[in-house]
Parts: sequence; structure tokens; C-alpha cells
Amino acid sequence: MIKITFYLFALILIFAASRVITVKNPVHAALFLVLAFFSSAAIWLLLQAEFLAIALILVYVGAVMVLFLFVLMMLDINVNSLREGFVRHFPIAAFVGAVILLEIILVIGAWHKLPTPEAATALAAVPNTQALGMVLYTEYVYPFEIAAAILLVAMIAAIALTMRPHTRAKYQKPEEQVSVRREDRIKIVKMPSETKD
Amino acid sequence: MLENYFPILLFIIIGLAIGLIMPILGFFLGTRQPDPEKNSPYECGFEAFEDARMKFDVRYYLIAILFIIFDLEIAFLFPWAVVFKDIGLFGFVAMMIFLAILVIGFAYEWKKGALEWE
Amino acid sequence: METLLYLIITLIKIVLIVVPLLLCVAYLTYAERKIIGYMQVRIGPNRVNFSAIPGLRKIPGFGQPIADALKLMFKEIIIPTNSDRFLFVIAPMLVMAPALAAWAVIPFSEGGWVLADINAGLLYILAMTSMGVYGILIAGWASNSKYAFLSTMRSAAQIISYEIAMGFALVGVLMAAGSLNLSDIVAAQKGSFLHWYWLPLLPLLFIYFISGLAETNRAPFDLAEGESEIVAGFHVEYSGMLFAVFFMAEYANMILISTLSAVMFLGGWLSPFEGIELLLGENWFTALLIRASFLWLAIKISLFLFLFLWIRATFPRYRYDQVMRLGWKVFIPITLVWIVVLGVAILAKIPPWFA
Repeated sequence: MIKITFYLFALILIFAASRVITVKNPVHAALFLVLAFFSSAAIWLLLQAEFLAIALILVYVGAVMVLFLFVLMMLDINVNSLREGFVRHFPIAAFVGAVILLEIILVIGAWHKLPTPEAATALAAVPNTQALGMVLYTEYVYPFEIAAAILLVAMIAAIALTMRPHTRAKYQKPEEQVSVRREDRIKIVKMPSETKD
Repeated sequence: MLENYFPILLFIIIGLAIGLIMPILGFFLGTRQPDPEKNSPYECGFEAFEDARMKFDVRYYLIAILFIIFDLEIAFLFPWAVVFKDIGLFGFVAMMIFLAILVIGFAYEWKKGALEWE
Repeated sequence: METLLYLIITLIKIVLIVVPLLLCVAYLTYAERKIIGYMQVRIGPNRVNFSAIPGLRKIPGFGQPIADALKLMFKEIIIPTNSDRFLFVIAPMLVMAPALAAWAVIPFSEGGWVLADINAGLLYILAMTSMGVYGILIAGWASNSKYAFLSTMRSAAQIISYEIAMGFALVGVLMAAGSLNLSDIVAAQKGSFLHWYWLPLLPLLFIYFISGLAETNRAPFDLAEGESEIVAGFHVEYSGMLFAVFFMAEYANMILISTLSAVMFLGGWLSPFEGIELLLGENWFTALLIRASFLWLAIKISLFLFLFLWIRATFPRYRYDQVMRLGWKVFIPITLVWIVVLGVAILAKIPPWFA
């Protein structure tokens, strides 16, 4: 049963992933990428990686792809102009692809013993999230803090790259509006009334 | 564990099916009298003369990027909150450092005016 | 054979959740029109009655939601020219599916009255609610209408902003309960109504609920559909049943937010009269007060739903910069501070919640 489910989701994943790069409309491509993430989350679930599977949906589908769609929808990309450079960029792209493939092979090769499904099932006795939490914040506390630093860099980079000073911006400061007192707005002046002479 | 996720898969499929069946019902039962005026996009009186998809303020991207970062932060906070009672003070301090680093970023974007809208 | 039986039982369970839910959605629209009507000294819908059914004849307008549904069913579905036809039709489906699927992990009563008792329940809910934005993005883009597109960008930015505050509020609940499983979260609140998390997590309850208003694009955060400026929002171009699906998803999401607020902060199915038998003695009345678990959940959900409607009838619409300011500059700092406060409180084992 698990095998059938695996092949089903694997097929959907391969189909979606190949559509991402073949479909013409960039928005459609992004949506196929969403489908691809979904099927890979399902495959992770089959490996009993409950937390990672849902976190994949939460972070990639729920956040990263939303940004992708935002950008694609707002940039109003002209597809034809993107296609022009295909032949010219192909050598570089092929090189990058080959390097990534090599890296993946090296990583898998360096893995002396691949985790078996049985080992994963044995671990499943402890809820996934708990098991992860017990080691992430104690044993792996340095990588965890480094992650914070990376996020900080990302945040500052995002602001530095996209922020433009607003020239005609008018801000409202509610805290000032609320704390305004009568004396700030009106001045009562005492002056003698005019006398009739 | 997997047997608990089967109902969820089924539920998602049924949710999609309901969202699909209702419009299909509408297509069958509803009238169909297309008309060029009726089918043109809403434009408050004048005719739609250009593609509605347009370039947008860059601030929307910034919001989306910041959202990703904060979403990741939440993903880090979830397992921590679950085991918080077990890892005690050490875990608390570890997370406070994590949050402090991100609060620096938050304060930076605040000061830079990334959160301002006019 | 066994698998088939299991499949059928699961399907029946799902139907038992979905059908009452859709009925609630229908009658929530009726309740909304009636309640807001009375708040504005009108009577609201009062013409369509079930005159054939004796008990319901007396309630004016009780057949209104059914009549509305029938009307929408026979309306023409207009697909605008230049739109992306496939995405245009599929968008309502993408809003509806997560709004329904999130109900799979909601515990309705004590003792396993939940469809899927998964360990990562709350994480799943957060993931599902974050999917809702897709339908809106796709709907606005596929319509190829300026009004829809503007409103889509606004409402998508608003939804993702409030999702952060929402996520942080959930972290507080997790810290207090120490589990992602919703049944465990309810069980952790056992005791009198002072043991429920609304008291130690009061700021988070407010933030969660108000973020819920913003997530569902309800008043006073309904500026994505601000009638006077961008007509109806991302679904201007939708008509007939396609529109109905959007509408139902919005109401299903309202009920979902109310239910989650009740489960996480008001003790879910727990009775507020826990321990009353010590005071009044054990008789049928106290037994009813304590055992009526689903009833209590329903009452708590209704309370939050009423708040949704009350707020809509009371507050004027926010301006866009105010919405973004509230989400980023008020809610996120408050939740962050409260997480720290909560951490200290839990480490200090402050009774009665964290002892």
C-alpha cells in the first residue's frame, strides 16, 4: 500500500516538476512548483517525517511560493523576451546543472549508511516534533544560532535591496494623535476687552 | 502515524471535490447567454483597453520577503515551544538569543521605514 | 475488504463533519443579516419561510439561505474575456479545499471525537490556513481586471502580514500546553474556567482573534473589498456558483477561526462548571452541565461568531496603512514580548496554569 502511494506521489512530483520548466506561462509554472512541493511533502510523510513534511508546506508553499507568485504577477514578465537567450545561456546553465548534480552525488556518496525505513519507523514512537526539539536547541544549539544570523542577514539584505526612500510619503503617528492635549491645539489668550470711548 | 494522515488526504480531496462540484452544478443549471459587453472585465464605465496586470509597488515584495523570514522563525519556534518544559533554562536562553538576533533585524527594518505605508 | 470498510467509515465521518459545517455556513449568513439588522434597528430577512414545516413557520426569513443558494445555482457563470479560464475556474476550489480540510484535526468532544488525531495538529492548521491566500492571488490574477488585481495584491499582503502575528500567538499556546495535538491542548486546560488559557494568554487571544478577522478579510479589515473603492475585491468578476464557493469558504474560515479560538483559549469542550457537583450535589442537572461537552464547544464557537458579527456592525473600516501598521508594529512586538513573559512564567512554574 505504501509502495503504491509512493509511486503515485512520485509520478505526480515528476510530472509537476517537468511541467515547471516546460509550461509557457510563468504563473502556471509557479503553480506546478506548488504541486511539486505538495507531492514531495507527501513523500516525506511516507518516510514518517511528519514535522518536516508539514513545515515544507508551511514554509515553501505557504511563504516562498507566495513571494514567487507576487513577483511573477507584479513584474508582468514578457515570456518571449525570456526565451530569446535560451541558446546563448545554455552552456552556462548546463555547466551549473552538472555541478549541482555532481554535488548531490557526492553528498549521497558520502553517506555511509543510508537510513532505512525500519529505523525511521522505530523513531516514530516519539512524536517527530518533540524528537526534533529535544536535540535542535541543546545538541545543535550553535547551528541553530547561526540560522538566526543567516535570517538576520537575509532580512537586512532584503531591506537594502528593495527599500527606496519615499519622497512624498506622509505618515500618520497615532501615538502622537492620541496623546495630544488641549494645550497643543489651542491657546487661550487673555486680553482686555475693547473699551468704548 | 501514516494511518492518521489518510483521512486528511481524503478530506483534502473531498474539499477540492466540493469546490469543483458546485461550479459544475452552476454551469449546468445556470443560463448561458454570453455577450461581449457582459464578458468584458469590470472597468467602471469605460472600456478595458489594456492588460490589467501591471507593475506594482516594490514594497509588496519587501512584505513578502519579510514574511518568509518570519515564517521560518515561527517554524523554528514551534518545536521549541513543544519541548520547552523539557529543555528548561538552557533551551530558554538558546531561544532568547535566537529571538534577540532577529529582533535586531526587526528593529532595523522598523528604523529604516520598511514597515511604513502611505 | 477491510480497507474498503475503513475507507467507507472515514468517508462517512468526513460527510458528518462537512454537511453540518456547510449548514452552519448557510445559517451563519442568515444570522449575520438578522443580527446586524437588529443592531441597525431593521428586521433583516423576513420573507422566505418554511411554511410547510409547522415548527419553523414562525421564524421569519428562516428559508433565506436556502433561497439564496438556489438563486445562485441558477445564475449565469460569467467568464470574462482575456481571463485565464482554467485558473479562473480553479481559484474558488483552492480557497474552499483548505477551509474545509483544516477541520480534519479539530477535536469536537472528549474521547477521540476527531477525524485525524495527528501529533502535528496545530502545525497542520497553520499550514492549511496559509494556503488560503493562493485562491485569492489566483482569482485576482486570472480575472485580468484592474479592480480584482489591485484588491488581490492588497489582500494578499494583508493576509501574510497577519499570518505572522497569528503564528506567534499559536507559539504561546504551544508553550503553555507543550503539545501540537489539539486534543492534548484542550486536555491541558482542564480545571475550572480560570484554568483555561484565555487568562494567562489574554493578549495572545486578542491578537489571534483580531488576526483572524484580518485573515478572513472581515470588517473592519475588509478593505480588500471596500465597496466604495474597489467594488467587491478579488472576486468582482465572479458570479453564480463560482462566487458562492468564495463566499462559503469565507464563512467556513470564520467558523474555523472561532473554533480554534475556542479550542485553544476557552478550553474547547471543557465545561465551565467543572467541580459544580461538589457544590450542588450529584444530580442530573450537574451531570448535564459537566458532560455536555460538545454543547459547550458549540456555545463557545457561537460566542466568537457573534463577536465577528458584532465587530462588523460596530467598527468603521481601517485604512490600508493602519492595517499594516497594526499587524507589523503592534501585534508582532506584543506577541514577541508575551512569548518571553510566558517563558519566564513557565520556568518559574506559576500556578495554577504552569505548576
